[in-house]
Amino acid sequence: MSLLQILFNSLALGSVYALVALGFVLVVNATGAVNFAHGDLVMAGGYAAVFFGSWLGLPLILLLPLVAVAMFILGVAVCFLAYFPLLKRPPSSVFISTLLCGIMLENGYIVMFGPEIKAGPPLLTTGSLDLPPISLSIQSLATIGVAGLLIALQYLVFFRTQLGRRLRAVSQDREMAQAIGIPAFTLIAVTFGVGTALAGIAGAVLSNQFFVSPTGGVSLSIYGYIAVVIGGWGSILGAVVGALIIALFQVGASTVVPYTVATGGLYVALLVILFLRPQGVFGERVQRRV
Amino acid sequence: MSVSNVGSEPLPRQRGVGALRWLGRGINLPLLIGAAAFAAYASGAGPYDLRLISIAGIYAILVIGFQFVFGYAGAISLAQSCFFGLGAYITGVLGARYGLEATITFPLSIVGPALLAALVAYTVLRLEDQYFALATLSISLLVQLVVTQWQTVTGGTNGLSGIPGITLFGWTIASRWGTMVAVWVLVVVAGVLAFQITRGLYGRAFHLMRESLPVASALGLDVARMRFAAFVLSAGYAGAAGSLIAHVVHVVSPEQVGLPLMITCLTMTVIGGRLSVAGAVLGAVAIVYLQEQFRSLQNYTLIAYGGVTLAFVIAAPYGLIGALERLRGMITAPRRGAVPTAQPIPRPAAMTRPQGPALLSVVGVVKSFGGVRALDDVSLSLQPSEIVGLIGPNGSGKTTLLNVISGLYESDAGRLEFLGQDATRLPAFRIARLGMARTFQHIHLVEDMSVVDNIALGRATAEGVGLKNAIAAFHRDDGLDRARGIAISAARMLGVEQHATTLCGGLAYGTRRRVEVARAIAAAPQLLLLDEPAAGLNEEEQRDLAARIRSIAALGVAVLVVEHNLVFLGALAERLVCLDQGRLIADDTPDAVRSHPKVVEAYLGAPA
Amino acid sequence: MSDRTIARTRPGMLRHPIHLGLGLVALTVAPAAAWAADAYLPIVLPVTGFMSVEGGSQRNGALMAIEHAPASLKAEAPVFDTGTSATGAATALDKALSEKPALAASVSVFGTEMVAMAPMAQDYQVPLLTISGLAQLTETGNPYIFRFLPNDREIKVAHARYVVEKLNKTKPALIGDTTAYGQGGFKLLQEDFAKLNINLAMAESVEPDTRDMSSIVAKIKESGADVLVIHTVAQPMALLIKQARTAGLDIPIVTSSSLVEPQATALFDPAELKSTCSETPSAPEARATPEISAWADAYEARFKQPPDGLALGQYDGVMMALSLIAGGATTPDLLAKALNTTTYKGVAMTYKSNGKGDMAHNAEIVCWDGTSRIPKIAADYSGDELTLK
Repeated sequence: MSLLQILFNSLALGSVYALVALGFVLVVNATGAVNFAHGDLVMAGGYAAVFFGSWLGLPLILLLPLVAVAMFILGVAVCFLAYFPLLKRPPSSVFISTLLCGIMLENGYIVMFGPEIKAGPPLLTTGSLDLPPISLSIQSLATIGVAGLLIALQYLVFFRTQLGRRLRAVSQDREMAQAIGIPAFTLIAVTFGVGTALAGIAGAVLSNQFFVSPTGGVSLSIYGYIAVVIGGWGSILGAVVGALIIALFQVGASTVVPYTVATGGLYVALLVILFLRPQGVFGERVQRRV
Repeated sequence: MSVSNVGSEPLPRQRGVGALRWLGRGINLPLLIGAAAFAAYASGAGPYDLRLISIAGIYAILVIGFQFVFGYAGAISLAQSCFFGLGAYITGVLGARYGLEATITFPLSIVGPALLAALVAYTVLRLEDQYFALATLSISLLVQLVVTQWQTVTGGTNGLSGIPGITLFGWTIASRWGTMVAVWVLVVVAGVLAFQITRGLYGRAFHLMRESLPVASALGLDVARMRFAAFVLSAGYAGAAGSLIAHVVHVVSPEQVGLPLMITCLTMTVIGGRLSVAGAVLGAVAIVYLQEQFRSLQNYTLIAYGGVTLAFVIAAPYGLIGALERLRGMITAPRRGAVPTAQPIPRPAAMTRPQGPALLSVVGVVKSFGGVRALDDVSLSLQPSEIVGLIGPNGSGKTTLLNVISGLYESDAGRLEFLGQDATRLPAFRIARLGMARTFQHIHLVEDMSVVDNIALGRATAEGVGLKNAIAAFHRDDGLDRARGIAISAARMLGVEQHATTLCGGLAYGTRRRVEVARAIAAAPQLLLLDEPAAGLNEEEQRDLAARIRSIAALGVAVLVVEHNLVFLGALAERLVCLDQGRLIADDTPDAVRSHPKVVEAYLGAPA
Repeated sequence: MSDRTIARTRPGMLRHPIHLGLGLVALTVAPAAAWAADAYLPIVLPVTGFMSVEGGSQRNGALMAIEHAPASLKAEAPVFDTGTSATGAATALDKALSEKPALAASVSVFGTEMVAMAPMAQDYQVPLLTISGLAQLTETGNPYIFRFLPNDREIKVAHARYVVEKLNKTKPALIGDTTAYGQGGFKLLQEDFAKLNINLAMAESVEPDTRDMSSIVAKIKESGADVLVIHTVAQPMALLIKQARTAGLDIPIVTSSSLVEPQATALFDPAELKSTCSETPSAPEARATPEISAWADAYEARFKQPPDGLALGQYDGVMMALSLIAGGATTPDLLAKALNTTTYKGVAMTYKSNGKGDMAHNAEIVCWDGTSRIPKIAADYSGDELTLK
């Protein structure tokens, strides 16, 4: 397989992972908490796409706003259920509460949609553009486009708007932000909502090429986590870069070694990175405050 | 032992009355009744129930082990199920394929995971929380991968069957009842061992470590070694539990290494209680039975299970045990324990040795953060019994200097000598053990522990606190008693003796400050570093504290006090050192420093 | 006590000689056995978790058989969920078998769970009726295991033979996965191709949750394979087929039965399934015989979803047990003996034990022609054809 094809496929898969990691890092930033239900929320988006697709019969690109809104609401719900009640507790409590939310979500999907695998509607259409030596699937192209747009949008909002500035203030020091009048809790809920909307879009986009299943999200939570660690804890750019690295690893490494070795290699690589440079690619070495 | 019981623990003397008093304390009586009821139920149970009870016992051992790393060391280790599965596989493979007995496979199932933990410890233990969780998860996933791929040995994803029951010296425990008894005997052993390890000064040291790592290090606690011990212990316990599940289910498969079991382990720990053996047992039994009860709901099972557990996590932060104790506390007020008898604070050993040119010698220290020079060629020295004040405007580097001296920061250049030894590259806990103690701007005390126990932690290193000693101190922990005795003396010196058995959580700010200083002097240091001790105190408290510090110095202790409050320092310090923007600009008597032109300029700005 | 005494006459019951015979026997002993036999036949399988599709089908098949039980039987079959773990399965079977004395139990299709449950059958001395294909279950001398779908060993022979003898291919690419199902079949196929003197062009396994198959497709292309043989669970199989076709890989594909499940074919446009075939024990969706057709209609009416081979296999197994019980095998040991010696004509095929508990010895190859999601039968293997020396 040509190098170009590998790169293109990695980019397509990586775009989806990047959306997942982006949603994950937003919540990490705002709350310092690892949301282990994040992958299950990605599946929620996939199921939403399946549901709206079969109900309205439109291509996914038109359904995305609906999916985003539904996921936003779900994200806020998770925030109220798993995060706000545990504000004063150590972070391990939030870890556990999000894990439990994940379990409830997974089994909720089985109850609502059945345990089978489902496929959602394509973004535009199936089929591909053939430009030898590579074949560009239209779904992949559309995926890259949507992801790129959302990442750019996210970056703009975060770094160029007042809302973004306030979000960053809340993530750096919540009490201080509240002291100067920023409605921190509202913004945290908004962050959960936006993070989940991104996850949901990722899931919706995944659903056509890669299917939706009740337990399909678990590995995505892990990939999001790894991406954020490799890229740099709390860094948006780092999350995207980390996600692309994972995709490249999965697609690229498995062309030369057996697939299971590539998977093992990813974990070993992660451990090596944690050993040598725990702050990741874009992270900062933090001196502990005394 | 639960944390909230800690402060009210008396020193038991008489046997009979002591036992009665033990029953009346906390929730010991209900727990004993519950245990008796459980035993009665177990003795008459059918095969299905026997299996459940055995599984509950196995998970109890798993959770007791997990409490070391998760409850005591405060780290989310996601490798606990991996160690469990490893223990299961060791017993399974050796038992099914090679017919080895439990007398061999059981110890190997403990040693194997413990070795793996020791191997990876260096990589993962120094990571911060969020990385540690992911690192341990990766290890778990790697082990799962190896186990599923190494089909010739492990049977692949289908697993291995035909694992015999527990065989000891040729005699196999064939009945389910016998197996259950064997499992629960081990639960008792595991619980007693865990209780033994954590009930004394060693266990209390973990509470402080969780509260603040730098503070624990500054008291001389080797936190890296403590986390290592907790991690390896948890792995060993998990391996033991895994070995037992192989004997009960007669099958090992990759699911025993996986994430779902890890989630169950976490859930049991959180539901039962993170720090108590009784909590571990309670959590294990509760979850095993809950899962079975909900099975009939089929697809709604796990939704209900998740919801109930989540409600519990939110409503009961200290788990079932904590909730029970709270309930008990509402019925009768917890009885305060007796105050220990005071023992004199020993003189620091080195006092009798001849001194070098100075007690503490700081030469040309440089420390930068990013592009900012926080300390620029700073030199100073201290003699025994000297009280020196360190002043300077905000951002001048005072706390940074204190951190460098106490070893929390490593200087970029320069030299640090303490008691004649080169301390430039020593980590904080080693410097502390040489004879240095300090306080911090933000007071870190263990809220759930009594004043006397908090102060007693200052004696932890002197008592040689560590895993071996904890296990060896068989009936009573003499170290804890001695430490408490000395702690009372320290408390007396700081005037907080009357609060000895009060939990620190409820104290006023000024009292907390004095407790913190008492903790520092309980360590019998030769050099005491105080970081803004007068902040937040009213005038009377300040005068009081100054007097007490003078009396400490009179014993031969050198004191370096960082302060803004020149009035406070005026009564206290013989010498003032002034920093400005990282540079030392004055080092002289208080009067001279106060009128020094550079000092005035630093505080008030240059004359117009 | 849940009552499952809905005794409806099974369509066409009297058409089958064995049932007629048994019915006559029952009539003659009726006065002596005037008390209707109480049969407790618990169903122990994964209702929740990632095996719940397969477990659900199996459960449906068993339940339908209970509902079609002969009138002289009062059959009771509560369902116990095993979840997805061996430990959970053992506990569930414990619960099921210790509640009341059971005559037999319908148990999990999931191989890993069967490994834990099989020894328990010997402890309780109760026959287990399963459709798990895991070869080792009948290779340990356990007299209480009866499986009603072909042993994986046999069905993989059909799989390999079709590729080599019917399609005349000489360079297969073999793809498995790391699940228990995948690992078992992978090994068996490797052995079978070796016995047929065929060298594999390539062989590799993927993780079942793999999403992007481009590297595997690339390796298949590079190996110059002339046929793609897949033995995995449904999701990676579907992804691989789709992505292979999109990448222009036109060689024929012959898969294991995971693709035949209606929920799997639902993921495809019919055109995507062209030149694809699967081995399967039976394909009720293809409705090849009137009996299967009638049964499939009854299943759809009852459960509102299309049937699959798993449900049919379990149905036949439970029906066989029920008819033997009605015919006088009123203790577990009698039932086990009867299961071992009786020939039973079920809906999908005729069942007879090979002495080790393998009851089913018939496999089919079905193929899709690109016009419909319902495949057609392309080849049939039975008896000796399912072994390779």
